[in-house]
Amino acid sequence: MKRPPVVSAAIILGFVLLALLADVVSPGDPYEQTLRARFTPPAWEAHGSWTHPLGTDRLGRDLLSRIIFGARVSLAAGVVTVLLAGFIGAGVGLVAGYHRGRVGAILMRVTDATLAFPIILLALILAVTVGPSFTNVVIAIAVILWARYARVIHGEVLALMEREFIAQARVIGCSAGRIIVVHLLPNTLNTLIVLLTLQVGYVIIVEASLSFLGAGIPPPAPAWGSMVAEGRDVITTAWWVSFFPGLAILLVVLAFNLFGDWLRDVLDPKLRQQ
Amino acid sequence: MARFLLTRLIQSVATLVLLSLVIFVLARATGDPLTLILPMVATEEDFANARRYLGLDQPLHVQYLMFVGKAAAGDFGTSIRARRPVIELLRQRLPSSLALGAFSMAVSLLIAFPLGVLAAVRKGTALDTGAKIVAALGQALPTFWVGIVLIEIVAGRLQWLPAGGNDSPAHYILPGFTLGWFVIAGLMRLLRSSMLEVLDSDYVKTARAKGAGEPAVVWRHALKNALIPVVTFAGVYFAILVTTAIVVETVFAWPGMGRLAYEAITARDFPVIQAVVLVTAVIVVAVNLVVDSLYACIDPRIRIDPRRP
Amino acid sequence: MKTAALLALCLLGPSPVWADARPSGELTVALSSFATEVLDPVLGGHGVKFYLALIFDYLIGVTPDGQLSPDLGIATAWEPSADHKRWTFTLRRGVRFHNGDELTSSDVKWSLLRAISKRSTTGYAGVLRALLQDIETPAPDRVVIVTKEPTLVIPPYLSRALSSEGMILPRKYVEAVGDDMFAQKPIGSGPYRFVEQVTGSHVKLEAVERHWRLGTPKYRIVTFRVVPEEATRMAMVRRGDVDVADVSRDRVREMERAGFPVYYRNNDALLHLWWILPWDRVPVRDKRVREALNLAIDRREIAATIFGGKAEPAGVPFGLTWGFRDVRWRNAETDQYPFDPARARKLLAEAGYPRGFPISIFAYQLPALPEGKEMAEAVSGYWQKIGVQPKLIPVDYPAFRKQWVDRAAPGAVGYYNLPNRDWIGTYTLLEKFAHTPSKPTDTVADPEIDGMLEAILRETDREKINVFMRRIFARLRSEHYGVPLVYLHTPYVTSKRIAHWNPGSVMLDLNIDELAAQR
Repeated sequence: MKRPPVVSAAIILGFVLLALLADVVSPGDPYEQTLRARFTPPAWEAHGSWTHPLGTDRLGRDLLSRIIFGARVSLAAGVVTVLLAGFIGAGVGLVAGYHRGRVGAILMRVTDATLAFPIILLALILAVTVGPSFTNVVIAIAVILWARYARVIHGEVLALMEREFIAQARVIGCSAGRIIVVHLLPNTLNTLIVLLTLQVGYVIIVEASLSFLGAGIPPPAPAWGSMVAEGRDVITTAWWVSFFPGLAILLVVLAFNLFGDWLRDVLDPKLRQQ
Repeated sequence: MARFLLTRLIQSVATLVLLSLVIFVLARATGDPLTLILPMVATEEDFANARRYLGLDQPLHVQYLMFVGKAAAGDFGTSIRARRPVIELLRQRLPSSLALGAFSMAVSLLIAFPLGVLAAVRKGTALDTGAKIVAALGQALPTFWVGIVLIEIVAGRLQWLPAGGNDSPAHYILPGFTLGWFVIAGLMRLLRSSMLEVLDSDYVKTARAKGAGEPAVVWRHALKNALIPVVTFAGVYFAILVTTAIVVETVFAWPGMGRLAYEAITARDFPVIQAVVLVTAVIVVAVNLVVDSLYACIDPRIRIDPRRP
Repeated sequence: MKTAALLALCLLGPSPVWADARPSGELTVALSSFATEVLDPVLGGHGVKFYLALIFDYLIGVTPDGQLSPDLGIATAWEPSADHKRWTFTLRRGVRFHNGDELTSSDVKWSLLRAISKRSTTGYAGVLRALLQDIETPAPDRVVIVTKEPTLVIPPYLSRALSSEGMILPRKYVEAVGDDMFAQKPIGSGPYRFVEQVTGSHVKLEAVERHWRLGTPKYRIVTFRVVPEEATRMAMVRRGDVDVADVSRDRVREMERAGFPVYYRNNDALLHLWWILPWDRVPVRDKRVREALNLAIDRREIAATIFGGKAEPAGVPFGLTWGFRDVRWRNAETDQYPFDPARARKLLAEAGYPRGFPISIFAYQLPALPEGKEMAEAVSGYWQKIGVQPKLIPVDYPAFRKQWVDRAAPGAVGYYNLPNRDWIGTYTLLEKFAHTPSKPTDTVADPEIDGMLEAILRETDREKINVFMRRIFARLRSEHYGVPLVYLHTPYVTSKRIAHWNPGSVMLDLNIDELAAQR
């Protein structure tokens, strides 16, 4: 896949623009409810109208507006979570890889423990204790996701430590911090970037599952995941309520995955193993 | 090898101890279960009685030690909601979860394997493209949505397969497929890319040049090497299966551990929450241990290098 | 399943005459949730009366529409002494538990004492504990209940109409095997005996050959399954795997169109919202604000849209219609709240809030209320239109309940779908929700209502009680003590082989008896 991913990049860019320009682009208010207009079909169907091009949801809110504003919510959730998890994961991986002794062992045990904890259960517990919210969803996912990155980065660092330039740096007397930040980090950056890109989609999907269980980004926020979950009881009658947000998720996740694949091929072919 | 296994075993135990502490704190943090099981007309005295009866009036660290000590012996206390020993609830629900998990994994492997390998071998053809689409869809659709659509169409309208409960072998098909969907996609992509890499390697090129028959080349060497990353990631995928199970079990009314955890969290039933998460963690850690050992068998370099995680 | 049964019948050859009366076949009921999953009535069994009432008999039975009946319970007659402090029950003879033991007054006394013991978490254990003085068993078929105060409530409290304290348990069996074993393998005297339970999945019962309550039951096996996901439940109904299932109001029309019979429990519950106490520092302390918040909501629209037309606007706080019927309260037109946002805004301005005020609304789902969050969002929308600034707080019910009883969020809004019930049940509800000394669940804090509730407790003249109850309802309404939203009708869809069924109007019960009785 050496061709530049024009389509994926375009899709990603498109949705990012939607998210940024939602106020301008959206035809309506994503929060305004008109109960009498609930479950209006898309414009091209019988009983549809162009005031609601993609139809309305169970509270009569315009679906298109909600999807456009939803780009903001879902993309933010995906990107912020992944950045947070990446930051923590890279940090742990780097430190554990450098300090191979007890520090490293402890960090890796914590990493293993974290990996064994199911994300969804943690999110549920948080939702039940503190209440569901955007922040809690991000925290719940990031708090477990970092472990995956830590493991990968750790492996990378171990390999890097074998290299000459590290040994030289130590001989010269560079401090641990300097070695990590100046020598190790840049060399793991490629791996990190690929990993993070590939995981944005995963986070968006997990948020959808969390919404299904009642622990996702709560209403009335127009998160795509909760929109799909809300519409599941009327899949056979008001199919558009789940379909269009689901389509948005599909496109965005696909785009990120394909783009990430291309990044991997370009930045570090060795990574195909990951 | 034995030394390697021992080290890993000790590490696993350390991991589990750490987890038990986290689990204990988290479960307690969910809130007071008594507001749920006591009727609305209950008085303060009723609450105090119930608390004493359920052992919730002890200081926290005592409760933790009791939890760990008993858990090691297989006693996870009594469910606050069901008023039954937790171990009994586990005994009822764990087998069905394991059965579904095993079935899913088997289905995933059976589908991902041939597709992944063939896609690599027939790179660039329609088959390859088709496989890529399947993989892409698998990772871009929420699990519950796949499950519900399957239920509405296959069980509700076409009525080809049953949904709801685990009464018959036929009941395994829809949930098993839904659960394995995500994994199929991931495994397939992994297999495909690692097969591609191996097929491109010098060894294979030499073997071909020497005139070895195509199937022999593919199946003997390439597969073996392509398996390595798959094995590494089997552990991760198993963890994903366990996580996703809660969604699948809810959709398909499957009486397993995932739903037990969900019910327990909703009811603030912390003995059950603790037990389920602990047992799940034990299984995941155990699977990882097995996977790492398998990896060590396949790739002897790790055994020698004590610095590998 | 049907083909297998037919095949089996053919293979068995021509059946002897009496075998036609044998129970055969299976009835499966699928519900979106079980409130609890206990098998022991004292462990919160009132939430699962629908299966417990098949395993156990009640001291006093009720007809499907909630009237006490001497034909459907262990007691064939009951009467109070002149001072209403001694209630004498005559018991049915020849009733046996599933293990063969005969049911006598000793079992009745023992069951009742167990139901009010410290261990019990049933709905009315506390109230009964306060009332009961002694239980006498002068004969194997006679029980006398002695109360501390004169009262009328004993028969309804021990009947199937309310909770599970009236269920009769086998004393010898429980004493022999212990409470824990009984909670796993219960034995009763009802028309169905317990076979197995897998928590989170199902409860399976098997018919007793001949029973005084149902004759010979029609179905050999009755299974209650919990299936939370509606798509799955409906698929099971379509496939014929399930005979009775609850269905959301949104989806009823789809199943009706597909030709499946749908039966309704009308006015099954009142969806009622209230403001958390104390009110001294929040705007709702002013009666005009409370009225305004009521006038701002278009109940007809909510009933027609969110509840798919399967709901009626409500106007009286805690106005349970089966209680209305008993105390002869007539629902007047003036009791309904018109949809009048203009007047609401005017009232707010008069009360000193021309620009509205912030208010929190807890949003959660409840077992028979999948529309919970949607409803909260809708109410929020209406209030926004009159200038109030509502903030939705998504939680689950236990989290809200904690805020409510801890009084951590004064003025915030919560709600519940209160199951409909007769006057005694309504009284007990008011005692919990509208009686200040009963805190922390009080939602009203009105001394006048407190006085009336306490007077009822001491009263033994039905007519006087009715007067008090009507005055309480009138005051609740005139003071706008809450937002009574709609009466909900709960639909149940059945498979095509169910010819007819009356789900009844007994609280938390489904009258499965009728389906199981031989026709």
